[in-house]
Amino acid sequence: MKKRKAVYFSVLVVLLLGLFFISVNLGSLKVTYGALFRGLFVEYNETVATIYDLRFPRIIIAMITGAGLAVSGVLFQAVLKNPLADPGIIGISAGSAFVSVLIVAFFPMWYFFTPIFSFLGGILACVLVYSLSWKGGFSPLRIILVGVAVNAVFSGLMESFSAMSGQNYSGAASILNANISMKTWKDVRLLAGYVSIGLILSLFAAGRCNLLALEDKTIRSLGVNVNGLRAALSLIAVLLASITTAVAGSISFIGLIVPHIGRLFVGSDHKLLIPFSMLFGAFTMLLADTVGRLIAYPYEISAAIIMSVIGGPFFIVLLKRSDKTYGS
Amino acid sequence: MEVKNLDFSYGKEKVLNQISLKIPKGKITTLIGANGCGKSTLFKVMTKNLKAHRGSVFLEGKNINEISLKQFARQVSIVHQYNVAPNDLTVEKLIGYGRIAHGGLCKRDKAQDEKLVSWAMEVTGVTEFRDRQISGLSGGQKQRVWIAMALAQNTKILFLDEPTTYLDIRYQIEILQLIKRLNVEFGITMIVVLHDMNQAIHYSDELIAMKDGKIIAQGEPKEIASPEILKEVYDIALKVEHINGELFVLTV
Repeated sequence: MKKRKAVYFSVLVVLLLGLFFISVNLGSLKVTYGALFRGLFVEYNETVATIYDLRFPRIIIAMITGAGLAVSGVLFQAVLKNPLADPGIIGISAGSAFVSVLIVAFFPMWYFFTPIFSFLGGILACVLVYSLSWKGGFSPLRIILVGVAVNAVFSGLMESFSAMSGQNYSGAASILNANISMKTWKDVRLLAGYVSIGLILSLFAAGRCNLLALEDKTIRSLGVNVNGLRAALSLIAVLLASITTAVAGSISFIGLIVPHIGRLFVGSDHKLLIPFSMLFGAFTMLLADTVGRLIAYPYEISAAIIMSVIGGPFFIVLLKRSDKTYGS
Repeated sequence: MEVKNLDFSYGKEKVLNQISLKIPKGKITTLIGANGCGKSTLFKVMTKNLKAHRGSVFLEGKNINEISLKQFARQVSIVHQYNVAPNDLTVEKLIGYGRIAHGGLCKRDKAQDEKLVSWAMEVTGVTEFRDRQISGLSGGQKQRVWIAMALAQNTKILFLDEPTTYLDIRYQIEILQLIKRLNVEFGITMIVVLHDMNQAIHYSDELIAMKDGKIIAQGEPKEIASPEILKEVYDIALKVEHINGELFVLTV
């Protein structure tokens, strides 16, 4: 068993690295891998420098975003005891995106603090969804329904405010359309800083996530404050979802698909599932972005759209199956 | 453990009314009563799952409201009636959860944890399944695993909420014998909720009979199992017979 799981991890790392190098060399500028290596580490090469400034940030952002959203999904699923929870579907990303757009459009001088406002927006959405769907417990379907409504409201507000601000090609639009094609190293540093905090915390919390699969009463009898634990894990999940949204825009379904497939490979133990979801999330998002760049070249389809097209049917399949396993 | 003047209501409906009782140390005490008599609520208040509106529960002289969940879990363990676990969790890992309350983030006595988990598996007879997944066990085996998890907490007091409800008769008796053995061999104080009158009589040292949120009688089974008290508790006349010197309530 253990050996097989180690193999899955190794294969995933190799696939991710492979995809990374394919993606780096995909587009109008092309160099050989030898030239790429020399340009990066040995001597200056104009083409490589351009690739380094234009393509690397986007690729790295895609990977960090994927990892963050996937882990956010794992955490929400544990906290809500709901395999269908995804920060995009339940409106957390929309709440973050709305507040981010608000800041970028109307208070550009606070641009630097966008992640913090985005985090607050995510918390707002999270509190709304939790309180509206709580009825002596979280019913899986009620959370999804409330989430869909919250998502719709925030998305609508976001688009209206973005339209009102009159800027069509701005930071606001890039959040709105989840466009990561114009990202710079500055964005990478911003994203990596906050997301790595969330990812490290999530690794420490893995053991506690496992506990949440038990009945609440049982968890309490073990000496653990369940609601405190839920709140703490939700904060980490919101942090991951909102920071990625502030930089890369609102992307749904990564947090749903990745953990689900992850469970098929490594099981429900979060000590394995969380690191696996990080890697697999990074891979999936980078794949979506790369495919989006390739499929209608020279035009680009954003990774968010690719994810929606793939994720929608996937979600329906899970929903149909969940009737059997989780009740309604 | 001691309960003093406990009141509890859901909305306007008073579920517990001036409950006072003492749980004798090192004995098996069983709560009996008809459905809706308040025994589950009392169980929840005594296990920190509900807060009383008036009155208090004392553990070794200390109000349990002032004891943290973690401290409480080091002194009192609870086996709830209904339990779920992830399908692919192994028996040993689940029982290991019982050690969570002992030790913080950094300081954890691993040797002690392993010793107690092994002991808990040993006495409940689940050692041979230690690497099996929970989902592959029978109802009786699962229940023994949940009891083992509570035992791993290494407490002097163990609460069990209807531990035999979902089991067929063979496993019911197996679990009750296990409870008796744990009590006799390790001196663990047991507080149990049971539905079956005869099982309550035969496996308990002390019975507490409840009706309408009040305690009607507390004492040894042979005192409580009288037609008069049973009539009051269950609102139905039941015959009590002596067979070979033991009491039996005829429930048919």
